[in-house]
Amino acid sequence: MDIILGIKVQDGTIIATSKAATRGISVLKDSDDKTRVLNPHNLVAYTGESGDTVQFAEYVQANVQLYTMRENDIELSPKATASFVRNQLATSIRSRKPYQVNVLIAGYDTKTDTPTLNWIDYLGTQVELPYGAHGYAGFYATSLLDKHYRKDMKVEQGLELLQLCLKELETRMPIDFKGVYIKVVDKDGIKALN
Amino acid sequence: MSDPSSMNGGSAVAMVGKDCIAIACDLRLGNQSLGISNNFEKIFQFGDKTFLGLTGLATDVTTLSETFRFKNNLYKLREERQIEPQTLANLVSSTLYEKRFGPYFVGPIVAGLDSKTSKSFICGFDLIGCIDFAKDFIVSGTATDQLYGMCESLYEPNLEPEDLFETISQALLNAVDRDALSGWGAVVYVVTKDKVVKRTLRTRQD
Amino acid sequence: MNTIANKFTHANSSSVLNEINAVQSEFASGHQLELAPSIQVPPISQPTDFLRAHTDDASNPDCKIKIAHGTTTLAFRFKEGIVVAVDSRATAGNWIASQTVNKVIRINPFLLGTMAGGAADCQYWETWLGTQCRLHELREKERISVAAASKILGNLVYEYKGMGLSMGTMVCGYTKKEGPTIYYVDSDGTRLKGDIFCVGSGQTFAYGVLDSEYKWDLTVEEALYLGKRSILAATHRDAYSGGSINLYHVTETGWVYHGNHNVGDIFWDIKEKEQSFNNVDG
Repeated sequence: MDIILGIKVQDGTIIATSKAATRGISVLKDSDDKTRVLNPHNLVAYTGESGDTVQFAEYVQANVQLYTMRENDIELSPKATASFVRNQLATSIRSRKPYQVNVLIAGYDTKTDTPTLNWIDYLGTQVELPYGAHGYAGFYATSLLDKHYRKDMKVEQGLELLQLCLKELETRMPIDFKGVYIKVVDKDGIKALN
Repeated sequence: MSDPSSMNGGSAVAMVGKDCIAIACDLRLGNQSLGISNNFEKIFQFGDKTFLGLTGLATDVTTLSETFRFKNNLYKLREERQIEPQTLANLVSSTLYEKRFGPYFVGPIVAGLDSKTSKSFICGFDLIGCIDFAKDFIVSGTATDQLYGMCESLYEPNLEPEDLFETISQALLNAVDRDALSGWGAVVYVVTKDKVVKRTLRTRQD
Repeated sequence: MNTIANKFTHANSSSVLNEINAVQSEFASGHQLELAPSIQVPPISQPTDFLRAHTDDASNPDCKIKIAHGTTTLAFRFKEGIVVAVDSRATAGNWIASQTVNKVIRINPFLLGTMAGGAADCQYWETWLGTQCRLHELREKERISVAAASKILGNLVYEYKGMGLSMGTMVCGYTKKEGPTIYYVDSDGTRLKGDIFCVGSGQTFAYGVLDSEYKWDLTVEEALYLGKRSILAATHRDAYSGGSINLYHVTETGWVYHGNHNVGDIFWDIKEKEQSFNNVDG
């Protein structure tokens, strides 16, 4: 029931993740941040089996950072980052204990000045999308995004569109997800809103 | 429900014409009922006139396309020539059989023209690498049944490239329109002795 | 002795007596006519388990009998009445069994029923509901209220609860005393009055568009477009919805049909006009 939403706009990529950490019938925490910073221009948002999610995100985070240390401070591009994450999940799915983690990777390619949004599920299915979501959020938000998304939108308009999606999720989702953390990845790096 | 080969959906078809071949696929990638992407191509080019279509579980489609890209690059370096369709077919077969006891959930098809003789070649595989040679057409994916029906009725031998394009397009389009998990756009490659033409088809979006 | 013999001999029973007996037993059991079919139950210990094992493709994907499923239907109330919009796809597994299903059942000139879930269940029982509504009119010399009509259906499906009926329906109508009214009735026995309902596998997508654009003061034209647009959104994303869109407007003078719109055609028109669906190229 976690909400993970991503919208790519012309000058950046927006990520929203729900704050609720739920176990069984209790909300254990209402300020859970379901994202990890991989490098200055790549942010991963995750959802899935509890335990697996953070372990996997931090494993990926460590490896992306290790790459930068080894390779003369070269930042891994969004495409390379997504490829690496996909490969990890695709390998993991055929292992004895697969990671059950779905991710969205918001990235900004500083070489070509292009924002990206990568949708990857626990099987290692990867696609680049203008907007996407994991879990039930996708069932409510995608039709709204199909209607209102424009290719020439800027971050500001993207955030308005995100608010529209969140309003719908709040009215139709059967549980309270305690609001969301919103983060934007653009040419200046990753910044958290609200 | 969680049958790996029909989780993501998608279909592909290849046909032989007169001194030409055509290979086509849809563009849908879904998660069961939910459409995720309408830009997921399932046909990959290896060499000038050699093509591989991969349907089935999307993660394996990506994994295998990357594996074959890697193997094809090694082949080119070692042999200093382009891979032939026949060779690719055997490469696909042996690669799939390597995973006999934990297979990739895919339905590959190979189509192409021999670089020297320009002889057409198409074939299909099961998920562990059994090659199915065919003289006319090969189908694969979640709309397999529908594609067989369309191809059996529309196909005729020795079609010119333009007519082959029409035939394969109609076969694919009408087949995926009867499959809930395929569609959302389509691409068709028509390969003749001296050129490859790629066309994107405008299709229903439901 | 004779009574027992008579019971099993057709020739011995007079037709008049038969009719009297039939009418009496009808009143006793509440059933209306001998002509009306009765529902048979398979002669095994657990008919529900049997049915589930052979027809429910959600719990058993390999089941041989696939009942037509998958739908998006919606209805909403607004100032000028009710808009009802539905898609027209029927699927059996991943096979698209039909793109031209009529999912709005015209119960009578003032009542509409929508169809989601088991196609046959909805078709049969909503047609049956039509006869019940007509009988009510004849008996009471007054049109049935939407509340009463939906309750007849609600009570009926509740009788069969647990037997494998599968339906999610909206009973929509306009009466003098109620105004425009929508009741949601499903095979669990749930019956809800409300302003906005979307039902079926594509419901969430329809809700998304509908909620964001809905106002009570919509004009008829705006409302019809919103209904159509919401179903279009669902047909696009939901694999099990599609085909074409059927549109209805329910007013105080009865329902008005607003045509069949092929998704294959209107998608591109609407994309062009709205500059929407920017995820789709071409």
